[in-house]
Amino acid sequence: MATEGKSGQESRPVEDVLQPMTRRTFLRGSAASLVGMAGVVAALKPLLELEAGELSMEELLQRHYKKLEVEDLHRIMKNLEGKCKREYGIRPQMQDLKPGEGVEFAYALNLSACIGCRKCAHACLAENNQSREDANDINMSYIRVLEMDKGAINVEESDHYYDSATVPQKDKYYMPVQCHQCRNAPCVKACPVEATWQENDGVVVVDYNWCIGCRYCMAACPYDARRFNYKKPTLESTQVNPNQNYLSNRVRPKGVVEKCTFCLQRTRAGRLPACLEVCPTGARIFGNILDPDSEINHILQNKRVYVLKEDVGTNPRFYYFFD
Amino acid sequence: MTMEGMRKQSTNRAKRGVILTLSALLMGASVLLWGESPSGSSGALDQDRHLDKNPVREEKGLELRKTGWTYDCMECHASLKAKWHLGDQLMEHRDLELNHGSNRFCLNCHHPENRNVFVDYDGSEIAEEDVVLLCGKCHGPQHRDWMKGAHGRRNGYWDVSRGESEKLACIQCHDPHDPAFKAMEPLAGPTYPARAAGKPEKKSHHEEGDSNHGD
Repeated sequence: MATEGKSGQESRPVEDVLQPMTRRTFLRGSAASLVGMAGVVAALKPLLELEAGELSMEELLQRHYKKLEVEDLHRIMKNLEGKCKREYGIRPQMQDLKPGEGVEFAYALNLSACIGCRKCAHACLAENNQSREDANDINMSYIRVLEMDKGAINVEESDHYYDSATVPQKDKYYMPVQCHQCRNAPCVKACPVEATWQENDGVVVVDYNWCIGCRYCMAACPYDARRFNYKKPTLESTQVNPNQNYLSNRVRPKGVVEKCTFCLQRTRAGRLPACLEVCPTGARIFGNILDPDSEINHILQNKRVYVLKEDVGTNPRFYYFFD
Repeated sequence: MTMEGMRKQSTNRAKRGVILTLSALLMGASVLLWGESPSGSSGALDQDRHLDKNPVREEKGLELRKTGWTYDCMECHASLKAKWHLGDQLMEHRDLELNHGSNRFCLNCHHPENRNVFVDYDGSEIAEEDVVLLCGKCHGPQHRDWMKGAHGRRNGYWDVSRGESEKLACIQCHDPHDPAFKAMEPLAGPTYPARAAGKPEKKSHHEEGDSNHGD
């Protein structure tokens, strides 16, 4: 009885229920449709880029790397070489090196030897064609060198902006961090479009033409190993490394994520990664863990190695040790 | 020194000069050729011109030796007797400072009779290019690690079936007379994001002269 009376009291005229166009609802509605319009424009952006010539019809309709026919990939790579020549003034030599049989890469880093000179971080930039504003701009480098107080591995208290006059500083030690090529890689699981995956030699690669730039992988990575191209990379022609690979160091387009690939344009040709080749202290050791006589296997068997953030269960291929 | 010896020496010098000039010319030519070659010529390691692979220590005289200079120590030491201590030097080796821990005697490493080689425990000779064996006399664990690839830098190929792997020798990174690894200036670091909150406060050397943090 009581409820009936109450509902009778609250019954409103039909105009109120239907919400006629007031100033507020008009504004709300137009704002919503503006957002919708912006979404449509964003979705159509590739078409606009197509119109402006920044993107070719072929790139727009290109299939996933794994589904490309060999001749298609070769044509695409030829086009990319031409594009690099037009935009950066140098024609690279692009390859698509495949993982070797019986090869699985691993990396070890001797923290007793590292002095934090950042030569690896700069060599990374010289090798991998990342965007940079000037010669000293290493914000896009795949390597961050953390400075930490001796006595603990306290990554939270670490500093990678250190600018001391000389290194190593007393009471400090240095830990370079780059992609750990995890066996259980969170970035690969996070990608909604399978634009990033792990190859047979353990390297996690990105198909830059398939990446949609959502940056979920960056949020998923516990090692801050991925970089995003907020803009079209700025590179002088003298800074472009012409030895390029489709899945690694070719000049990236705007709006995609890139990462360390253990320099696969070098390592899949049997050579050592750039960061290792310049290390003045010899702190870096790289090799094939499937080869029982390799140097990296000697390290894993004889030194007390540990992995960074073991508790997150990523099972990295990058090992640190003290000796 | 006899007239015969002096003449021999002067012809040696002349030979050296010719070799020096020739190699300088060759180097110049190769630089020119590299400059003109199409970018990214595959296979060769000249792809690595963008990487600074020089060892930290400029080895004294090594460049000269590469261009034909023999660096024959016996030119002087044939007449000058070897000494155990690094005492007052008259002319040569005045820039030397021996700071090698408890190893304070020249002849612990240098051969007393043949100054172009090093000396082993039993007085036998260790050739100059086998300097790693000399250091291994005392630094056993480091020598073992170096042999196994856990100490020192490699360059070139990890896959030795496809190319050469070069090991740097001890003295390319460590000065044998002052072997502790020297502190060096770090290269430029990343910049703090412009729109982020202020750089975290630090207790260390960064504090003085930089009061803008934390605005």
